[in-house]
Amino acid sequence: MNRFILSISFSKTTSRRLYAFFYNNIFYFLLAGLTTISVFCFLVYLQNGLGLSYNDARSHLDIGRRVVEGLKPGLAQLGSVWLPLPHLLMVLTVWNDFMWHSGLSGALQSMISFVATGLLVYYFLKELQVSMLGRLTGVFVFVANLNMLYLQSTAMTELLLIATSTAGVYELLKWQRNNRLFNLLLSSFFIMLSTLNRYDGWFLFGWASVIVVIVMWKKVGWRAAEGVFFLFTTLGALGIVLWFLWNQLIFHDALYFIFGPYSAHAQQQQLAQAGVLATKKDLLLSIKVYMYALAYNEYTFPLILGLTGAIVLFFDKKLPLNSKIVSSALFAPLIFNILALFFGFSVLFVQGISGDTWFNVRYGILMSPSLAIFIGYLVYRWHKLRYLIIGLLFFVTAFAFLNQDAVTIDDARVGSSQVNVSEVANWLNKNAKDKPGFVLIAAASHDAVIFSSGLPMSKFIHEGTGEYWVSATTSPDRWARWIVMRTNDMNDQTFKLVHNTPGFKKYTLVGHYPFADIYELKPQYISQLHTTPVFGHQK
Amino acid sequence: MKNNIITITLFILCFFILLLSLRGIAGNPTLATINDAKWTTDGPLELSPDRGRFALTYSIVEENSFFFSLPIARFATPDLGYKNGHYVSLFAPFVSYVIIPGYILGKLFGLAQVGSFAVIAFIALLNVVLIRLISMRLGANKIAATLAGLVFLFATPAYAYAVSLYQHHISTFLILLTLYILLRWKNLKSLFFVWLLFGISLPIDNPNLFLMAPLVIYASGRFFSINKMKEKINFSFHFLGVLTFLGGVLPLLFFLWFNQMSYGNPLQLGGTVASVKAIDANGKPTLPQVAITDKKTIDGLLDPAKQNKSVIQFFQSRNLINGLYELFISQDRGMLYFTPVMFIGMFGGILLYRKKSSILVVLVGIIGMNVLLYAMWGDPYGGWAFGSRYLIPAYAIIAILLSFVLSAFRKNIWFLLFFSLVVTYSISVNTVGAITSNSNPPKSEVLALEKLYHTPETYSFDRNIQLLSHNTSKSFIWQTYFKSAISAVTYYWILVTSILLIFVGQIISLRIHTTYKPEDRYE
Repeated sequence: MNRFILSISFSKTTSRRLYAFFYNNIFYFLLAGLTTISVFCFLVYLQNGLGLSYNDARSHLDIGRRVVEGLKPGLAQLGSVWLPLPHLLMVLTVWNDFMWHSGLSGALQSMISFVATGLLVYYFLKELQVSMLGRLTGVFVFVANLNMLYLQSTAMTELLLIATSTAGVYELLKWQRNNRLFNLLLSSFFIMLSTLNRYDGWFLFGWASVIVVIVMWKKVGWRAAEGVFFLFTTLGALGIVLWFLWNQLIFHDALYFIFGPYSAHAQQQQLAQAGVLATKKDLLLSIKVYMYALAYNEYTFPLILGLTGAIVLFFDKKLPLNSKIVSSALFAPLIFNILALFFGFSVLFVQGISGDTWFNVRYGILMSPSLAIFIGYLVYRWHKLRYLIIGLLFFVTAFAFLNQDAVTIDDARVGSSQVNVSEVANWLNKNAKDKPGFVLIAAASHDAVIFSSGLPMSKFIHEGTGEYWVSATTSPDRWARWIVMRTNDMNDQTFKLVHNTPGFKKYTLVGHYPFADIYELKPQYISQLHTTPVFGHQK
Repeated sequence: MKNNIITITLFILCFFILLLSLRGIAGNPTLATINDAKWTTDGPLELSPDRGRFALTYSIVEENSFFFSLPIARFATPDLGYKNGHYVSLFAPFVSYVIIPGYILGKLFGLAQVGSFAVIAFIALLNVVLIRLISMRLGANKIAATLAGLVFLFATPAYAYAVSLYQHHISTFLILLTLYILLRWKNLKSLFFVWLLFGISLPIDNPNLFLMAPLVIYASGRFFSINKMKEKINFSFHFLGVLTFLGGVLPLLFFLWFNQMSYGNPLQLGGTVASVKAIDANGKPTLPQVAITDKKTIDGLLDPAKQNKSVIQFFQSRNLINGLYELFISQDRGMLYFTPVMFIGMFGGILLYRKKSSILVVLVGIIGMNVLLYAMWGDPYGGWAFGSRYLIPAYAIIAILLSFVLSAFRKNIWFLLFFSLVVTYSISVNTVGAITSNSNPPKSEVLALEKLYHTPETYSFDRNIQLLSHNTSKSFIWQTYFKSAISAVTYYWILVTSILLIFVGQIISLRIHTTYKPEDRYE
């Protein structure tokens, strides 16, 4: 009978060496693997055009571009409402036309953030003393998600937020274990970066500050806690303070980003008036909508496992209390988004639940590293069921990939986050590219047109061009050869300012499209037109 | 000896109750009568899953063909396949073969349809036996194990599908038998039967590929052994084990042969064959009498060759959240409404985990696969159905886990009282389903029906209660012998009381058995 048995022996020393090699170089293996996946996905979405489907992605790229190129370049183009970090990072590369129009200038930070977060998930779990299998499962859960892989290929801001927040919480975890001030400062630094990226970071900053106080108070008492708290918040709040200062200096109103005409508040007010802000003041609906967004982004089963893992983690007697307190920060995205929906600061449409379309459903991806960490922990603690959990995860994920289940792509392609500007943009590219003259356009409404037209930023007169904008909206016939606007829409600043000017009568409607109309100055008036920049360096 | 007599008596009683609940009418259907309402909408073959499988049985036995003649094709709609100019079955074929002995035997007595259904009822009873055997083998108390089997049969939607013609009990039987073989025999030879059962399960119902996967993986582990010695680790692979795969070859060959004969392609699955929803007077595919606006769908129904189905599209991860809601919580099909006793059973998993049972992974794996697969299914409702029929295999496994809960808490009078209440409710709900109808539309269709006909429509088991109150029962025994003597409601109460008496007897035995025989205490 032994003739029918194939036996292979390994010496324990060899297997230990192999394991040690793998363990000692895991950073490089993960780095190589994550980078390969990241680059591959970017190329896929670049090739099929989906990488630029989000209207917001195009706007982000344009903002970065306006800082370096245009009729009034400069840091003031960073504007208000959207926090500046993503655009500042883009400035390094967006001056290059390919980097701008391919979206790589913005996607690059998403890709780096994706790789960094994958590594952070691993090291977070290592810090929690989770087994190797648990750590790798966590990384797998984070990576094996089409929504994540898609967003990391775009110039959206979610990945940068995810990376900076996770880094902040990770350093906080290390600090509470080793008491090293350096880790606390690193945590503060990363959280500060997150506050300069999205307002979710501000909520995390508040939560992390409370954690610092609690941990220090339990360890060494109130006085020391007070000192450490100020140390943490001084750096951590720097971004927030600078942002208020920025709004005061540039827009003469420290709260411009909250109450200004382009703020989310203004947008939400319009939606509320239209009766589609259903989640405002409805806590149950806010929870339901966000949980659905979470479920759709995470394929439901990992969400269930993640919540189970969270319960296991928080009730695990073997884990020190301080580790649990710090790990609670992993719930910050969940709480923030529900509160934002409840107070009406945010809007989220889930098809079939709150409206007939998708909008901002990608917010559900923000819990991804948290769920990955919780699942990794669950695999570690429920070790008898570890292969089953991993097997079932594979099962669901396989179907998700086979069916190309990516709700973030649906949002970008067919939801309210997409705008079909191709007709207007193509017209401009075909008819305005080789002719002198400026295009008058409201960037707040038509940034996607600016991006998709392929024309240089300096071709456009928009709200951020200072004197050009003021002059062109007063006497368009002297400054703008073409005007792009939504006729009869008072939300379109160009139409609002231009339609009653005498100069507007000198234009002909040359393109009428669902997204916007294009007007061109009649030929007999072209000789009076300014076609080159005249104002020089504006302050 | 005394215990064996009691156990045998119990199973005889169960068989008797199943017989009393079995759906059917006397007579042998013919080509001329098979499409009559007495067989279809008003009768035992009320839904297309029943009809589709019975159609193939009829076609094989009476017409010696895999292709449906026109009356049989009409009978099988709207779940009718169309391939290469022939009307064919959309369903995996083995169920139709399994019931052939019952059909032929029943036909001799003028009860062809009843005989067919009786085969399923018999298999359901075997499932009860297997649940008991497996539970005992894993260490559960004997009476608790028996109770667990009875809970599965009478307190879950398995009851409604034990008295009609669906694949669920056969699939469950194959899963349970495979599990029992793996527990009972630890050698390689037993794997021959494991692969045999696995091979049979695929032509019973294609998704069994996934439901049996945990068992297959567990069994495959027997090919390997790891021996950790002082200085080295030894991995061994038993080549002889590969020979056991022969067990699965024959049923798979049969499956391939059937696909070749029916669809002209051995690898074509029935579910991917173009479907026909209705047939016109000339025998050609036509549109059903429901509003369809999608042009692609219309074109496909009129010309089935244009349909392009894929296996993968049936299962979508996007459906999971809705699917889980429907299967567990919804009033439509949810476990909470139809068989809340199963939630008690789930705690058995914790007990087995603490017992460090290696088989727990397999049990939870089967439940997990079952739940996830059908939660991803585009139609978690199971069409018009009673309860969540797709979870019947999971109910069987949860019943095994329940035996451990019952064993662990058999001393606790409050638990037993609570369990009795919950199981009474579950039995009451599932008995009304078993003796009336499986034809319950999902809530979304009910609302559409209400709009169309401007009359309130019920759904969930309220619909069954309504049927009962209108003196409607599809039980063969009641319709044939008692309809003029007692009402359907009275018949229902007789059945429920009988079942409850069995349960009460077992629960009391469980409690008393604890008091008088402490050495049997579960640890």
